[in-house]
Amino acid sequence: MASSNRTATQKASIVPNSLRRSGAYVNNWVENLSETKFAYLVLAPTLVIFTAIALWPILFTLRTSMYADSFSQFTGAFVGLQNYVEIVTGQRGAILIRPFFDLSNPFQSILPTTMIYTAVSVVLITALGFVQALVLNKTFRGRSIVRTAVLIPWAVPIVIQGMIFYLMFIPGGFGTRILHDIGLVGARPLSNSASTVGIVTLAAIWKRSAYVALIVLAGLQSIDEHLYDVAKVAGASRWQQFRMITLPQAIPTLMVAMLLTSIGSMRVYGQIDAIANCSTMPSITCAVVGTFNGSLYGTASALAFLTALLIGSVSMIYLVVLSRSRAGGI
Amino acid sequence: MAPDSSLSDRLFAVDLDDDSSPLFRYTFYGTTLLILLISLFPFYYLLMLALSSPGETTSAGLLPAGFDPTSFIGAFQAVPFHLYMRNSLIIATGVTAFVLVFASLAGYTFGRMEFRGKRPLFLLLISISYFPGATFIVGLFKLLTGNVTVLGVSSPNLFNSPAAVGLPLTALSLPFAILLLTTFYSQIPDGLEDAARVTGTTRIGALYRIIAPLSAPGFVTAGILTFITAYNEFFFSQLMTTGSPQNWSPIVWGLLRYQTEVSVRYDLMAAASLIGVVPVALIVLLAQRKIVSGLTSGSIKG
Repeated sequence: MASSNRTATQKASIVPNSLRRSGAYVNNWVENLSETKFAYLVLAPTLVIFTAIALWPILFTLRTSMYADSFSQFTGAFVGLQNYVEIVTGQRGAILIRPFFDLSNPFQSILPTTMIYTAVSVVLITALGFVQALVLNKTFRGRSIVRTAVLIPWAVPIVIQGMIFYLMFIPGGFGTRILHDIGLVGARPLSNSASTVGIVTLAAIWKRSAYVALIVLAGLQSIDEHLYDVAKVAGASRWQQFRMITLPQAIPTLMVAMLLTSIGSMRVYGQIDAIANCSTMPSITCAVVGTFNGSLYGTASALAFLTALLIGSVSMIYLVVLSRSRAGGI
Repeated sequence: MAPDSSLSDRLFAVDLDDDSSPLFRYTFYGTTLLILLISLFPFYYLLMLALSSPGETTSAGLLPAGFDPTSFIGAFQAVPFHLYMRNSLIIATGVTAFVLVFASLAGYTFGRMEFRGKRPLFLLLISISYFPGATFIVGLFKLLTGNVTVLGVSSPNLFNSPAAVGLPLTALSLPFAILLLTTFYSQIPDGLEDAARVTGTTRIGALYRIIAPLSAPGFVTAGILTFITAYNEFFFSQLMTTGSPQNWSPIVWGLLRYQTEVSVRYDLMAAASLIGVVPVALIVLLAQRKIVSGLTSGSIKG
C-alpha cells in the first residue's frame, strides 16, 4: 500500500502541471456530458472507421452497379438498372465466364450451379452438424478429444481446405481412386462440372459442419431435462424420446443453422478457386471476380448486388418460416 | 467463460447410463468413430502425401508411397512460403489488434449504455456483416488505390501494403466482434460500475478501474475468433494483393503458387498445407473452450 502511494506521488511529480490540468479538464468535460453524448463520443472512432471501410464501399459499389463498364475510365455513363437486366436476361453472356441462367446445362451456368450447391451443401452440412451435436451432447470418456477433432476443420484456412480436396481428387488421388472404382466419377473428376460441384460440396461439409454442431449443441443444452424424465417414466424408448422431444425442440436452432449456412454457401468462391477453377464450377461470386479482374466494374458491382439480393430473399424466407414455427408455440 | 463451463457440465450430466442398451452403445461409439475419421482423415492423408517420394504421390494411400520427409524443406525452396506465412501472421495480428480496439469501444457503449438511436445503429452494424464480401470489393479497391478525394484530400494509395488486406478484413470481422463484446459487456453486473460512480469515481475512472480489468475474458474470445477469421480469409486476401511476397501477399497466394509453379509436386503442396495449418490448429488445441463459447453466444443472439 505504502509503496503504491509512493509511486503515485512520483508519477504526479513527473507529469507536467499543464498536462495534468488538461487531463482534469477532459475528465470534467466528459463527466458533464449527457448519456447520449457520452455514448456517441465513445462510439465515434468505431463509427468513423466503419463508415470509411464498410458503409462507403458498399454504397459506392451500389452506385457503380448503375454505371456502364468502361475500358478507359473507372466507369462509363449512368445506365440505371440496365446492368442488372442484361445480366439476368443473358445478354452479358459474352463477358461472363459462363451463361447466367441456362437450365439445359445447370452445372455450367452461374445461378443454377450456385443454387444446386447451396441446397445440397446446406442440407448435408446441417445433417452432419446435427449428428455431431447429438454425440457431443452426451458425457463419455474422450468427449473433449472428439470436440477438438470436430473443431479443427472449422479453423482450417479456406485455401488449405481447398488444397486438401484438390489433392484428394487429382487423377490418381485417394478420393478419385475410391470413387472411380465404384463408378461415381471419371478418372479426372476435377475437369467435370458435376463431379466438381460434388467435391466442393464434400469440402464444405467437412469444414462447416462444426459451426452448425456448436449452434445446435447450444440449443440441445437448453432443452428442459424434466421432459426426458417424464418421457422415461412414461416408458418412452430412446428413439421415441428423440422423435417427440429432441427433434421438435431442436428445429428452431436447426433453422437458424441452415439460414447461416445458406448465407455462406451462396457466396462460395475460395474453395472453388483452390479445388478446381471458376470455369468448371461458375458460382456467382466467381463471376464477380472474373469481371472485377477484367476491370468491368459496372457488371462486377451489379453481380455483387445480385448475390446480396439472392441472399436477402432466401434469408427472408427462412425468417418468415422461423417466426411462424415460433408463433406456432412449441 | 466460467458460468458457461459450469452450465455445460450440469447439462451434460445426461450420461450413457446403465439403462442404455448394447445396440445404443454400439451405434453411439460407431458414430463417434466415424465423426473422428471424417474430421481427421484429410490431415492424415496430407501427411502421407508429404512423406511420399516426389514421383510416387499418386500411389500414396493409407501409407506413403516410398519415404521422403525432405518435402517439408523442399516446400520452402520451391516457393518462399515462410514469407507468405509471415505476411499472413502479421496481417492477422494487426487486424486483431485493430478490431479489438474499435469493437471494445462499441461493445461497451451498446452493452452498457442507453442512448437515442442505439437500436437502429446496432442493427445497421450487424446487418452490414451479412453483405457478401463481393459488395465491398469495387468500393474498397477504389478507396485503397487512392482514388477517392474528400474535401481536396486524396485517400492514400495503400495497395501493396498490409493495410490493403488488413482494412477489408477489419471491416469484415468488426461486426461479429462488436456483437460478441456487446453481449459480454451487457453481462457485467451494473452494480459494480454504479458503486464506483456513487463513491465518486469519474466516468473515465470507472472505465479504467472497473470495466477494463473485467474485459479480459471477452477480449481473449473476440481476439481469437478475429485472428482465425483473418488468417483464414480467401476473397480479399487474393483480390487485394498482387501475389508477390514482398508486397504483403498472404498464404492464399503462397499455396496457389504451388499449383501453378510446381504442378506435379503434390508432396510439396501437402507439406506446405500442413505447415500453414499449424498456427490455427495450435489455437484450437489451446483455446477450444473460448472458441465454443464465443461462436455460440455470437450466433444465437444474432
